[in-house]
Amino acid sequence: MPLRRMFAATSVLFLIVLAISPTKNYFRPYRALQHRYFRLGAARARSLKAAAEYTARPVAIQQIWLREFEDRVDRCPTCHLGAADELMQDAPEPFRVHPRTAHTPADFDRLGCTSCHGGQGLATSQVEAHGSAPDSGSPMIPPQSIEAGCGRCHSTETVTDAPILSRGRSLMARSGCYACHAVRGHESFRSEAPPLTTIALKTGGGWIKRWLTDPKAVDPNATMPNFQLAERDMEEITHYLFSVPAPPSLAAAIATAAQDPAGDAANGKKLFSESRCISCHTVEGKGNGSAPELSKIASAATRGWLLAFLRDPQAFNPKTRMPRYHFTEVESRDLVAYLEDEFRDFDAPKDLFEPIRVNQTLAENGRRLFRQYGCFSCHSEPGLVEAERFGPDLDGVGDKRAASLDFGRRTDLPRTLPAWLAAKLAAPRSFAPGLKMPSYGFGVEDTAAVVTALLALGAQPVPERYRFAPAGSTVSIPGGPVGALIDRYRCLSCHRIGDRGGDISTAPLTAEGSKVRREWLVDYLVLSYTIRPILEERMPVFRMSRDEATLLADALENFYLDATIPEDPFAGRPPADADSVEGQRLYVTLGCRACHILGTAGGYYGPPLTEAAKRLKPGWVFTWLKGPQRLRADVRCPNYALTDTDALRLTAYLETLRGVSREPAAKGAR
Amino acid sequence: MRAALKGAWIVAFLFLGACGGARHPDASKADKPKSPEETKAPVASPAPLSYEERLGQATFRHYCQTCHGETGAGDGFNAFNLDPHPRDLSDPVFQKKTDADLRDAIVRGGAGVGLSPLMPPWGRTLSGRQIDDVVSYLRTLRKSP
Repeated sequence: MPLRRMFAATSVLFLIVLAISPTKNYFRPYRALQHRYFRLGAARARSLKAAAEYTARPVAIQQIWLREFEDRVDRCPTCHLGAADELMQDAPEPFRVHPRTAHTPADFDRLGCTSCHGGQGLATSQVEAHGSAPDSGSPMIPPQSIEAGCGRCHSTETVTDAPILSRGRSLMARSGCYACHAVRGHESFRSEAPPLTTIALKTGGGWIKRWLTDPKAVDPNATMPNFQLAERDMEEITHYLFSVPAPPSLAAAIATAAQDPAGDAANGKKLFSESRCISCHTVEGKGNGSAPELSKIASAATRGWLLAFLRDPQAFNPKTRMPRYHFTEVESRDLVAYLEDEFRDFDAPKDLFEPIRVNQTLAENGRRLFRQYGCFSCHSEPGLVEAERFGPDLDGVGDKRAASLDFGRRTDLPRTLPAWLAAKLAAPRSFAPGLKMPSYGFGVEDTAAVVTALLALGAQPVPERYRFAPAGSTVSIPGGPVGALIDRYRCLSCHRIGDRGGDISTAPLTAEGSKVRREWLVDYLVLSYTIRPILEERMPVFRMSRDEATLLADALENFYLDATIPEDPFAGRPPADADSVEGQRLYVTLGCRACHILGTAGGYYGPPLTEAAKRLKPGWVFTWLKGPQRLRADVRCPNYALTDTDALRLTAYLETLRGVSREPAAKGAR
Repeated sequence: MRAALKGAWIVAFLFLGACGGARHPDASKADKPKSPEETKAPVASPAPLSYEERLGQATFRHYCQTCHGETGAGDGFNAFNLDPHPRDLSDPVFQKKTDADLRDAIVRGGAGVGLSPLMPPWGRTLSGRQIDDVVSYLRTLRKSP
């Protein structure tokens, strides 16, 4: 009898255990959600038939299987049923239709959900799928940083439709994050920070202390972060910097320059504006800002150093973006006289340039600090071979579990990765004593942008076929005398050639040979004038010799061509007068004058066309008119979808625009 | 005796089932404490832009702002020399136009809709999605009358 009773009890127990799983499944939230969605769909459906289709749908797990994307399975549509359903505009979450983006709804089946949003695709409960638990791997990317998802596949610096990510990436490069932290794809990054070998001849202990206390307070354009050094540390580092011997050639150049007689400041002022210094530098905030602010430069550097530096900046810092101008001895003297007169901090204490008598013990401690804070990562240390990256690797930082992060003293933070990253950027040393990362002084928006860029750094690179690499043209830079000129004038500091170079200039040189006429280019290089008057960044007047200009123009004419741009768009049949008259009519009816100046009338957004025929080659004009975006993707000139005939007529008209005469135009534009 | 035991088992089973099953999502939502954003009084700063509006903003800033200005008031730097002047996009009267009208004016330009040709047609330069995003961003520029 007890045996039978026990048998009955265990059978019932067994049945109960068996029933738990289906019961649990029956009460899963997604089932109720799916019922709600079907009701909502039926209510919103435009026809009875469509409504019936909604109600007839079975409750089931919905999933997207990405065989080629790490074999992912995304079950997000189990709850987010309306993601691809246009009827679910403004529906309550989780049913709302996915906003339209470059990839949605087109690529749902190719990308799934987690490849952009993060989270656990296999899970079917909200907490698990969204990864909100602290020990969850790859939690969902929060909406304000969603562009981090774009960055997993798009590894380029600028990503279309992802302005926050692009801003974050450019901030990371500009702030030199990659100098200390290794990040895939940035292995070759080298900071442009100057070597510090001549600093003892450049300035004094007072100024170094001022700078170290807060670089951005001294120069708003500074990229150097604030190391929050103690008074004592600053003193030791200063002693170390003063103990570093300057290279003999530079020391001699500075010493000679210091003996130079005073120059003529009035002429210096003229040179300063002619050389277009503010195309890169700023003066009281006016200018491009990619190079140091100059308004207090004479209180930062001694006269001898300034003179020697202006005469050959590239000898002081081989990585500098500053070109080597053709200043004569007298001209550089005049320029420095102007800087000394005008660009001075009149409130500065007198002892800024006070030299330091090096104390060997302090200097030795300073050297240790120089290593300890990783200063050498940006300012190369004499005698130190290329060291490993100083900070921790950042690859995979976007996939870190919140539970694996050290929040230390920061008990005030939500235990999430984005919150940790934001706090690390805002107050890097607030987590524990003894941390080394300096403070970059990013504002709220910049911090959010950098957090987005960091969240884009996944642990594993995405599969090859998902990686987005733009068809960037790799163009080689010639060597020999032409290469030496390109290096001397640092063309690549401002102009892009292929996928290299800076973005200060709006004119990439990749197809310059197909674009401008050689004779114009030679004249322009000898005496450049302003093509776009609204820009602060203007081509400096290098005053290169006509021989140098010819050499460069010939190189551009021969190397930097676009094979798709015809030499003669008219194909041997020169346009008739009627064509250019018709072209002129098109110029008016299309509204070209909204952006281009012709004579005196028109907007100033585009380049003036008064002398278009002298500057541009007709083949390029024709190709441009047929679709400006093909030649430069982000250009504002709209594509008017002109027929070949109309484009040729307009080209014919522009070919008649030769200006009044060269001399007044060149003078006026300067 | 046996019947009573069976009854007890059934009760236990129902109890277990109720514990094992997850709660209804609506119920869990109802007793969730309100997040600080919900409880805070509405602040004066404008509502944050949605993703589409942000994309629209980026497109607007790149292509439109030079003439229409940052706030859409028609005071972009390039507007100075233009006659007729660009339309004030933040004007509530202008904002009465339908989305379809705005889209049409962007796609076909001023000349396409019987206005000044100085407003170029963007239909071949911007994608349909970009234009939709710009239109939704334009709606955020509306000045209160």
